[in-house]
Parts: sequence; structure tokens; C-alpha cells
Amino acid sequence: MEDNKTPEVYRKSSTHEKRALTRREFIMKLAIGGGSLVLLAGCGAKVTSVFDTGSGKQIYSFIAVDYSKCTGCRTCEAVCTAYNNPLFRDGRYKSDLGNPVHANIRVHSFNPDVDVPVTCARCDDIPCVNSCPVKPDPVTNRRALYQSGKYDLITNDTDRCIGCGNCVSACADSSVGILSQNPATNKPMRMCTLCGGDPKCLEHCPYEALSVLRVDTAYPYYRMSPEDIAEKLNKRWYNLNV
Amino acid sequence: MKDNFFGYHKVLLDINLTTKEIKTVPIPREDIENFLGGRGLGMKLIWDRLKKPGIGALSPENPLMFMPGPFSGFPIPSASRVVVVTKSPCTSPENKSLTSSSTVSYSNMGGFFGPEIRFAGYDGILISGKAKHPSYIVIEDNRVEIRDARAYWGMKTDEFDKAIVKQLNNERFQTCYIGPAGENLVSYACILHTTARAAGRGVGAVMGSKNLKAIAVKGTGMPHIADHKKFSIALKKVRDTSTGPVDGIKTDLFRKWGTAAFLQTLSDDGLMAVKNYREGTYSEIEKINAKTAREKAWVRDFACYCCPLACKKSGAVKDGPHKTIVHDGPEYETGTMFGANLMISDFNGMMKAIYDGDDLGMDIISAGNVIGFFMEAYEKGLVTKTDLDGLDLIWGNVDSVIKFISKIAYRDGIGDLAANGVKAVSQKIGQGSDAFAIHVKGLELAAHNIHANPPRALSYSVSNRGACHLCGDTISDQNFMAAVDSLGICFFATDFNKVLMPGVDKNLLGELLTAITGIDWDEDRFIKVGERVFNLEKMFNFREGFRREDDNLPDRFFAEPYTKGEEKGALLNKEDFNAMMDEFYVKRKWDPVTTKPTNKKLSELGLGFTI
Repeated sequence: MEDNKTPEVYRKSSTHEKRALTRREFIMKLAIGGGSLVLLAGCGAKVTSVFDTGSGKQIYSFIAVDYSKCTGCRTCEAVCTAYNNPLFRDGRYKSDLGNPVHANIRVHSFNPDVDVPVTCARCDDIPCVNSCPVKPDPVTNRRALYQSGKYDLITNDTDRCIGCGNCVSACADSSVGILSQNPATNKPMRMCTLCGGDPKCLEHCPYEALSVLRVDTAYPYYRMSPEDIAEKLNKRWYNLNV
Repeated sequence: MKDNFFGYHKVLLDINLTTKEIKTVPIPREDIENFLGGRGLGMKLIWDRLKKPGIGALSPENPLMFMPGPFSGFPIPSASRVVVVTKSPCTSPENKSLTSSSTVSYSNMGGFFGPEIRFAGYDGILISGKAKHPSYIVIEDNRVEIRDARAYWGMKTDEFDKAIVKQLNNERFQTCYIGPAGENLVSYACILHTTARAAGRGVGAVMGSKNLKAIAVKGTGMPHIADHKKFSIALKKVRDTSTGPVDGIKTDLFRKWGTAAFLQTLSDDGLMAVKNYREGTYSEIEKINAKTAREKAWVRDFACYCCPLACKKSGAVKDGPHKTIVHDGPEYETGTMFGANLMISDFNGMMKAIYDGDDLGMDIISAGNVIGFFMEAYEKGLVTKTDLDGLDLIWGNVDSVIKFISKIAYRDGIGDLAANGVKAVSQKIGQGSDAFAIHVKGLELAAHNIHANPPRALSYSVSNRGACHLCGDTISDQNFMAAVDSLGICFFATDFNKVLMPGVDKNLLGELLTAITGIDWDEDRFIKVGERVFNLEKMFNFREGFRREDDNLPDRFFAEPYTKGEEKGALLNKEDFNAMMDEFYVKRKWDPVTTKPTNKKLSELGLGFTI
């Protein structure tokens, strides 16, 4: 029964606001939060780079969902796909256009009415990367699936990837199950890119249901599968055991 | 270069359930320029398919079409709609020379089905024929299959919605289906999607007549656009304006209260259907209004594809005998028709009735209207308790209403008559009951009462699918609505009510359409489509034998003034009404005697082929 009391709202969530915070406000927020989890607010919410906590442990940023605000409209899917997997026509990519089925964020809809958007949880123990059987490159020490760039994003080296699907299974078994095999190539897809630091889903969510947060494993629903989240929300909202 | 336009796949998926032939049919540029998509293109297609009047709505020849529009499948706010176009099983003209005459029917539904049709690579789906046994259709891009649905026949919609996800083993399919009401050819059965979004006004009976339980669609593609830069600019403008001012009255209203907000206001203003349209104000409205719903049931707001308004509310019945019901609602229409119109003030009971109506797959507008009629006939002694299979159908008796709803869906006992709609019921009962059988042309009025609202009275009278609350109260509104219904966007996103609900205007709709198609659209050309659609619908009905005498209202509105409320004493005046109607026909350039559009008007609209 304890479950029923877990808040569905991330207490310290930073939904985007219509104006950017001033530097002072930003520092204030950090101060109030005591090393707050609030990364930032502001219209074009930029993601700051990963930082070291001092314990040597990396903490990443991920797209967190406030399920009490999400209406299941799938605007996030539409704008994600338009940025990350845009339509390719006439020799050019067409941003603003794309089929939501190719998005890196995926809204799972259930009956009774519950919608659960899911995106890469940025797991600190990276089960997907660790499951990759491709021998690490002697120079870079990278498997086919590895972390790269400013935000340590999960990246696939499609030249070396053998399309075995281990990463997809690992994600499903021990995390949210967002990764999926490309039907044509069997290689993994739906790795969140954080849109180069300016997540489109956040910018366009009409309900301010999405935030960029630093990973905290104590978050309710963190790393749970959409089915499990739906079950909990069903119980919480409709008092139903489905 | 004639075919050089964009924003469309330029094909219709054409499925014949009798022959099991599945093909794609090209859509000519001319039809797209003249009718756009949705309601308009559907109307052109049905005109082309049904070459003569009198073909039965429930016959295999009647095409059942699912029509998205040129905005569908793009991330345009509120571009979530699909219009189901077919010949209506509900309507009939006064002139009985043809046995199976009826009007066209178009029913507009939100959700995710319309966009998905376009993702799968089609601008519409047309279904004709009749399957040998219950079937369902699965569409996955260019793979289309007709499958056996015998195991699902008889299944209610809530259970089916869960079962089909398991069957298809992929939750990305968007599905439309009918319930027992559609299977049993209840004339006002509807087609449901996500258990709570419905295309009503009779289209479900047509689907049932084809032995078609469901259509599931999933696609990986999308249409292409003409001018990417212009599209991005126009899209940004639409995103900035479709919600009205942020946190303004429009967003606030839809998100917090949905259409249920109007339960209180329209009752206060004497504009609500109460006690089978006898009154306009419901004294117990507080017990079923949006505030009560929010307190007693609603737990979340939800939205259609890319819609920032989230007018849908889902909730749970938390106590009493109907505890465990989880459903959306009430909305304005469902709350009025299963609430105020039946004098039901038991909120939880009303939620159960709404749930059952959706679960069994019937149009709650018509069902509430028919049951209201029976309640009044029972009160007046025109039908007895025995006639009603022992149901004590007094005003407000929600338990009897719940039982009656089930009887209608299964055509059980008195339900077999009730399933034919209020016009058929009153013809059977006779005894002057037509005075309070609240329909036009055979289609039941919606939840807006008209004693104190002459423009809406006109709208109900001239609407081309029978009494329709979304037709538009003036000629310009009618043309605007017909044009908007042909785009695939929800009219809630537009500025249809500039004062209360600012939004996307005609100009911007044209700008977006130009960017998508590469064809030049301006305000006038866009509105002209609406006028063309409205006139073609009219010609379809005229060919079926509908005349001036069919554009009429039940006597109640001219004879029995409201006895309570803000508009106490309100009544329509027959002379004024007739004068208003005359003026309407003249302005439309229609003959006031026959209602036929003049040849000049038809030619001017490019409808010379109907002459």
C-alpha cells in the first residue's frame, strides 16, 4: 500500500518556463535545492554536461516524465522524430517532419486510460553497453555500443555492430525497455540524444510534463518498464488492480 | 507537371469485403483541389460511387469511408481528426417514393486513427461489400489483410480494445471497432476508437451491416510537403495561436473542464436539452456538472494526437454500486443526454450509463434522445409498463435507463423498436407523439435546446446529415465548418468562436495548406471548398428526395414554452422561423420551395456534374 503514496510528480522537476531564468535565479534555485537536482529551466532548456560528484561516479541527465501532467498527445514523439529521424526526401532531411514510430521517446497507451512516455533512463550501470559482445577497440576501448560526447550518450557504431540484439534484451530486462532493433538492420535504435543539449520534447510538450533531471535512482518509477508504471498508476488513479 | 502537388499520397485504399479485392485507387488532383479531404473528399467519393438514389444504407453497395485530411499525419496541433463518411441509416424523407432514401452521414472523430491512416500511406480508406462472416481488417503499410473476427463478434468495446492489442501483439496499431449495437444494426450505433472516442450518428450500423468488427492501422511512412521553409513558419504560427493566449480562457477551459464546462453555463442560459427538450434549464445541474465530475471522478486529462487542449477527462466511480467503472466523461453531450435530458442527477449512475453506452457502442446523443422520448410517452400514458418490458421508466430512474440501454444494443423486447431511432418509434406509437419526437429528417437532435436559440434551430433544420449541432448556425459558419472538417484538424483549434475561443484563423489555415500542397490557397478559396461541400451534400440529399418539408422541426419548439429558468416563456415563432428559413435559401441561392440549389450556383461552385 506504500506504493499508493509515492508521488507521481518529481518534486524538484524543472519544467520549461516561458522565460529563461536569470543567472541569479538559477543560482538561487541551486542554493535552495542544496545541490539541487534542478538542472535548469528556461525555454530552450540546455542540458549541462555530466559532472563528477567527487566519488568518481558519473551522473547523467535524462528526460523525466511527470505522469500527472502527461495527456498522451504524442507531441513529444512527433517532434523527437522530426529532429532525430527526420523524413528524407529529395536528397534532404526535412526537419519538422517525421513519423512518430521512429521517435526515441515512445508513448505507451493503455486501457484504462494511462499514457506512459518512455525514454532512455541513462542508467549508471549501462546494462546495454555492458551486454555488447563486440570486442573493445584496442585504441578507444569501445565496444560497438558505447558512451560518447559531452553528455556520455549511448551511441552505436553501426559499422561494428553485429545486430545481435543483446543490448535490446538487456534494456528490457533491467531497465525501461526503450531500445529496440531496427526491423531492417537489427541494430539498436531509440537511444536518446538529448537533441544536442536542447531537447525538442521538452520544448514542445504542451503540458510541461517533461523535464531534464540528473539521474537519481531514488526517483519513483525510475527505470521501471511502461507496463509496471501503468500498473502502479492504475492503482493510484483508478484504484484498480489490472 | 499537372500532378505536381504535395501533402497527399494521392491514393485511396479500396477494400471490397464481398470479393475480398483490395486495391489502391488514385485520387485525381481535381478532387483534391475541390474537396481537400475528410468530409469534403468523402462526399465527392460517395457521390461518384452511388450513382442513383434509393440504395440502402445497410446494403453492401454503400461505401463506408474513413477520411483523414491534408493536415493529418503532420505534427500540427489538433490535426487528429478522421471523418467517417457514408450513407445514413438514420434519416428518411417525407416523400416515400423511394424505399431506401436517406441523407449522407459524416461523423468526425479525434484520437490517433486519422494520422495513422496517413502514416500507412493512404489518404482514405473505402470499404464496400459485405463479408461472409464477421471479419476485421489489418493494415500495416502496404500489407492489408482481411481476417476472421468470429471470435470477437459480440464482444463489447472495452473488452475488445484490450483483446485486439494482445491479438496484434503491437500496441502501435490504431484501431476502430463496433460493439454489440453496431453488430445488431442499431440505427444510431457508433464506431469507437480507444474506447471513448466515437464516430456516431449511425455510421456504426453501416459497419455492422458489412460484418466488419474492426479496422487496425499502423504505418511507417508519411506524406511529403511542397515547401519546407513555409511549412515551418506556418507551423510555428499555428503552435502559437491554436491554444489562444496561453493560460487564457480557452486553454484553461478545455484543460480543466473539457466540454463539460458547458453543462452549467448552457443550463444557466436555458440552452440545454432537459426533460426530452421540454425545458432548457436543469435545476439539479450542480449534481452532474464539471465541478462535480472533477471532485467525484476525474483523475486525468487526456488529448488526441498533437493536441494542446486535452479536452478529454477520464475518471473512476469511487463509491456505490457502480464502483470499479473507469471511463471518460461526462462531456457536454453525454452529460446532457444521459443526465439532464433524462432528469438524472445521480452522478455515479450517469457515469455507468455513459460507460455502458460506449461499451455497447451506441451514439449517446441519439440513445439519450430516444430514451427521453420513451420517458415522456410513459408519463403521458402512451406506452405502459408492460410495453416497456416491466421497466418503470420514470424521469430520473437511472437503473431503468441502464437496463434500457442494454435492451437497445441487443434489440431485446422494446429495445428492438427503440433501436430504430425516435422517428420510427413515434411513427409506431402514433397518438400525436411526433410533436415530441425530437429529430430532423430522422436524426435525433443533439444536447443543445433551441426554444431560445433560433440560429441553432436553423442549423438543426438545414444540416445535411439531419439534426446536427456542429453544422454551423449561419451560412458563413456552415461553409467554414465544412472546410475545416475537410482538413483533418479539430475545430476547437480554430477561431470558430472568436470571443471565447480565439485560435487559428482561415488565413493561417490557407497559409499552412499552401506550404503543404504547393497549390495557392487563400481565405476565399478555402472557404469556397466549404461552400462546395455543403452544396454537394445538399444535392445528394435532394437526389434522394429531401425537400423543404424535411427541413422542419418537431412541434414542441413552437408550442410549448419553457416553464422555468432564465429563458422562461421562450418559444420559437413559426412565422419568424419560416421567414428565417426563406432568407437562408435565398442567400444560399437555393430555391425556397424545393430547396434545390440553382444551376447557376452549382456551376459557379464547379458542381455542374450534379445538374
